[in-house]
Amino acid sequence: MALTQRIGRSRHRLILLVLTAVSLLTLDLNGFGPLASAQGFVRDVLHPVTEVAGVVASPFSNAWNGIFNFDGLETENQELDARVKELEADEIRNQADRRALERLLLASGLPYVQNLETKVAIVVRGAVGNFDSEVITIDLGHSDGLESGMAVVTGAGLVGRVDRVDATTSTVQLISDSTLIVGVRLVATDEVGLGNAVGDAFEINQGLDWPEDGDLGKLPPVGSGVVTSSFSRYPAEIPIGWVTSASSPDGGLSLEVRVELANSVDDLGFVSVILSSGVDQVPLPETVVPNTIVPPGIDPDDIFTDGEPTEDGDGG
Amino acid sequence: MIPLKLAIVSIAAVVIQLTLFVEVRVAGVAPELLAMLGVLLAFYAGIERGPILAFAAGLLWDIYLPTPLGVAAVTFAIVAFSVASLEEGLFHDSRGQLAVIVGLGSVASVVGYALIGEVVGQRGLIDVEMLRVAAIVGLINAALTPLLAPIVRWTLVEGRR
Repeated sequence: MALTQRIGRSRHRLILLVLTAVSLLTLDLNGFGPLASAQGFVRDVLHPVTEVAGVVASPFSNAWNGIFNFDGLETENQELDARVKELEADEIRNQADRRALERLLLASGLPYVQNLETKVAIVVRGAVGNFDSEVITIDLGHSDGLESGMAVVTGAGLVGRVDRVDATTSTVQLISDSTLIVGVRLVATDEVGLGNAVGDAFEINQGLDWPEDGDLGKLPPVGSGVVTSSFSRYPAEIPIGWVTSASSPDGGLSLEVRVELANSVDDLGFVSVILSSGVDQVPLPETVVPNTIVPPGIDPDDIFTDGEPTEDGDGG
Repeated sequence: MIPLKLAIVSIAAVVIQLTLFVEVRVAGVAPELLAMLGVLLAFYAGIERGPILAFAAGLLWDIYLPTPLGVAAVTFAIVAFSVASLEEGLFHDSRGQLAVIVGLGSVASVVGYALIGEVVGQRGLIDVEMLRVAAIVGLINAALTPLLAPIVRWTLVEGRR
């Protein structure tokens, strides 16, 4: 009897906890400022503790990785990998603007963002949970001029965007996150579209049209470069990757381009943040609605003459 | 004294999760210390206090997770309530049983977190990978139970005056 009563009382408490959580969820999803500030405050207070703990824990982490991940040459591999990626990115920039490249290489660093201020950041940690593998934390925050939406890059190209900004740290949503939509330009054809990660690949699946005359020669060649477009939320001409295939998912209406990313985001050590505010929403390109859908049983010639509606057509 | 000890243990669990278990993973999966803490608090504190303490632990973890605030908190509270109910009605304290309860509770926490996360708009949480993660988390947390259980038991005991 006493047990039943206790469970009954506890059930009421649980309902109150659920209602509290629902309230917090609602406030957080609506961007309630004080709640975000309070979370940021807790993270800022605990940041020094996590930094010290990270130093203390690093020997254990290294030992673990040494035993189970066989990463004795990890650092050297990272450097070589970064160098290879930079060289590959050079090729994309060559396609984008050879003359600009020659000028920019003199400035070294990040040649494609020469007019914009950047800050180098150390990657503090990778994913903290088991479900947010596409997020990293960097050691720059509000106090360094960072704002949500800024582009994060390496010498090889776009890494992601600044997401949550605290006083001294920020989280970065990586380009490998399928929910991060990027406005891109195909260097070979100068077409623009929207792309996002799909599984292990990056796909441009909005805004591109299949050649009207079916001429496959007008498709972007495999190996040609892909960069951020001027209508994206990030500065233009940041390398994204190379075209690996082009196909039409709907039988010749739209074009879908698969891209190999220039950057490997699996093991980042340093990144640069472009201190130029991003926009909240990518302007969507004009949607192309095919005008060839004709109801069954109706002759298209009865509706259109030389591409124009007939006088007796209702247009609807 | 108990609230202070609970705060220290909870913060320590978060810090360890944010540092050590970012690197130390088994098959790419990290232990879920806060979920484990929630289950153990429910087991030792009972059905009246357990869900509240688990909720608080989840809220602290929520601050670092990409999902909206409250997802882990409500998940841990519901799991804690279930664990405490089972413990009151069925189980008796033994090390083997406790490890099994922690393992199953951790699996339920991971699955519950993914389900509630999807409901509130997070994408890509529910798939076959989630089941693999939940199973491995359950095994690791069960294996870590002998280490964390005495600490949680200590936090819930009032010290000498």
